[in-house]
Amino acid sequence: MTEPLVSLDKVEKRFDDFVAVREANLEIGAGEFIAIMGPSGCGKTTTLRMLAGLDAPTSGEIRIAGKLMNEVAAHERDTPMVWQSLALFPFLNARENVEFGLKMRGIDSDEREKRAMNWLDRMEIAEFAERNVETLSGGQRQRVALARALVTEPKLLLLDEPLSALDAHLVIRMQGVLTKLQKELGITFVYVTHSQSEAFAMADRVVIMSKGEIAQVGTPREVYRAPRTRFVAEFVGRNNILPGSVTSSDADQVTVETGLGTFSVPGVATIGTKASIVVAGDMMQVGRGENSVDATVISEEFVGSIVTAFLEAADGTELKVQVQERALADLDLQPGSKVTLHWATQDGHLLLEET
Amino acid sequence: MRRLNLYALTFRLPIIIWQTLFFIGPLIFVVAMSFFVVRNFQMVETFEFDSWKRMLSRDFVWDAYVYTVLMAGSAAILASLIAFPAAYCLAFQTSARTRQIAILLLIIPFFTSYLVRTFSWYTILAEAGVLNGAVGLVGLGPYTLLNTYVGTLIGYLTLVMPLVLILQTVTMANIDDRLIQAARNLGCSPARTIWTVILPAGKTGFVIAALFAFILSFGDFVAPFYLGGSNPPTLPILIIDTTKAGQQWPRAAVVAVIMMVTLFVIAFSAIMYAYRKRASR
Repeated sequence: MTEPLVSLDKVEKRFDDFVAVREANLEIGAGEFIAIMGPSGCGKTTTLRMLAGLDAPTSGEIRIAGKLMNEVAAHERDTPMVWQSLALFPFLNARENVEFGLKMRGIDSDEREKRAMNWLDRMEIAEFAERNVETLSGGQRQRVALARALVTEPKLLLLDEPLSALDAHLVIRMQGVLTKLQKELGITFVYVTHSQSEAFAMADRVVIMSKGEIAQVGTPREVYRAPRTRFVAEFVGRNNILPGSVTSSDADQVTVETGLGTFSVPGVATIGTKASIVVAGDMMQVGRGENSVDATVISEEFVGSIVTAFLEAADGTELKVQVQERALADLDLQPGSKVTLHWATQDGHLLLEET
Repeated sequence: MRRLNLYALTFRLPIIIWQTLFFIGPLIFVVAMSFFVVRNFQMVETFEFDSWKRMLSRDFVWDAYVYTVLMAGSAAILASLIAFPAAYCLAFQTSARTRQIAILLLIIPFFTSYLVRTFSWYTILAEAGVLNGAVGLVGLGPYTLLNTYVGTLIGYLTLVMPLVLILQTVTMANIDDRLIQAARNLGCSPARTIWTVILPAGKTGFVIAALFAFILSFGDFVAPFYLGGSNPPTLPILIIDTTKAGQQWPRAAVVAVIMMVTLFVIAFSAIMYAYRKRASR
């Protein structure tokens, strides 16, 4: 990466005794689509607000385009944000909402109107320009909010769970709109969400936060296939986690003794280390194979083409297996039935316990 | 449905009876009385336009009308302006707890009679009063404040200021903070958010606060009488004077009806303006 557009260096934010963000180090490149993901209260929104200057870091340095931003007031930055609540001004119509940022920059009214209409047109809502924003639908309001944030042509756009209030089918459509926009504009998007599907669908890289700390940064695939901490393994996807300790070690493979048996897994670790084997739910298969465990089906979750079955092994470990819905009938995954699950050694992932 | 309506009516009945007996009834009576005439110090129940013709043709009535509207309007504007910085401070720069205490303290003035508060101003504003005594120490004054429009205005402000301050504080405390942050995020300095966000977002509350100030001042008798010296007279003073002079109740009723029509028009326009939404085209 060349000179990053945004860099966080040991950024910390405390509210009295509560540490919202701890020792955050992060570099975001120009033109990147970054998703910050994590459960409620993990510090993702606080991180975004610090980029916007709405919260000041307690310590550490935030740089945007090389410039130290710690002392720069919110209104002196060019870091527009799309809010979870949208925060459209109810006393202004759609066009005036979009013009707001331009007005603050002292641009004359003809030019403002031209640029606002251009953006409303691009968002396909030009016909609603003079409408009271409170009379617009959720999707239309969303587009007004996007146009309002982008009209000043910033290098960095901040998005705080902007799709969380929309219907599921609108979310998918807006994801398409956002991805396309980001590609066309070539600007950096920092997108905060608690939704894995939104983050994975759009982002180049995801940042996973937990309890104020950055747990892992990587492409969606890396984070999904190779979680670095137990938290990430539990938070992302539907992983089976088999904790144990390393009993033998080869060149590129180790053996881990777990409560369900001893299995091999690719990786490097010294003998005696506490470690877990992580097997993604979609890598688990029904039947006997290289590494097998017996379990009882507890329940299943139907989400369309994929069904996740939840099982319990003899020692109480919870296991998950994801299968195609159309294959379900042949597999006898009824609640209560006893089945054997297996996975290929290559599909296992070694997770070393953090110290 | 019918049972539900009866149920609702049961709860509405007391207020309906109350309003009919003590508001609509007297109102009709005052309007009717403005058409009565006084002959030989006796009120005659009739329907003649004598009082209306007389009052509407007299300059002193119109002078008093203009003066009262101007004074009440000034009180509403002044109270709104003076209260704003304090209300802003309470709404945005203090904790919710401090705000609660402040609002409680602002209610305390209502515990004392308005008349008592007005009389205490008397001792402050008098020629040999506290204020002139103080400025006299540095060789200024004495200023004549009592029995002038300044005295009347101070009286009006005493009456309306706590209410305006409370209404403005509550208005601003209820403005969605995210709108203010969104404005700052879009390049609006904190001072500028007053114009761009706070005033438009709190328009309803600010207009209602000013309207209350106007209504209370417009109908107030105490301030113009004791601090303004009835000179020039406001409409409430005109009513008192008219009833005293020759038992002219019908003429007083004319003034009362004029006042009510004025208040109705102003209150109606103000509320229409306050609640007007951004028009969609």
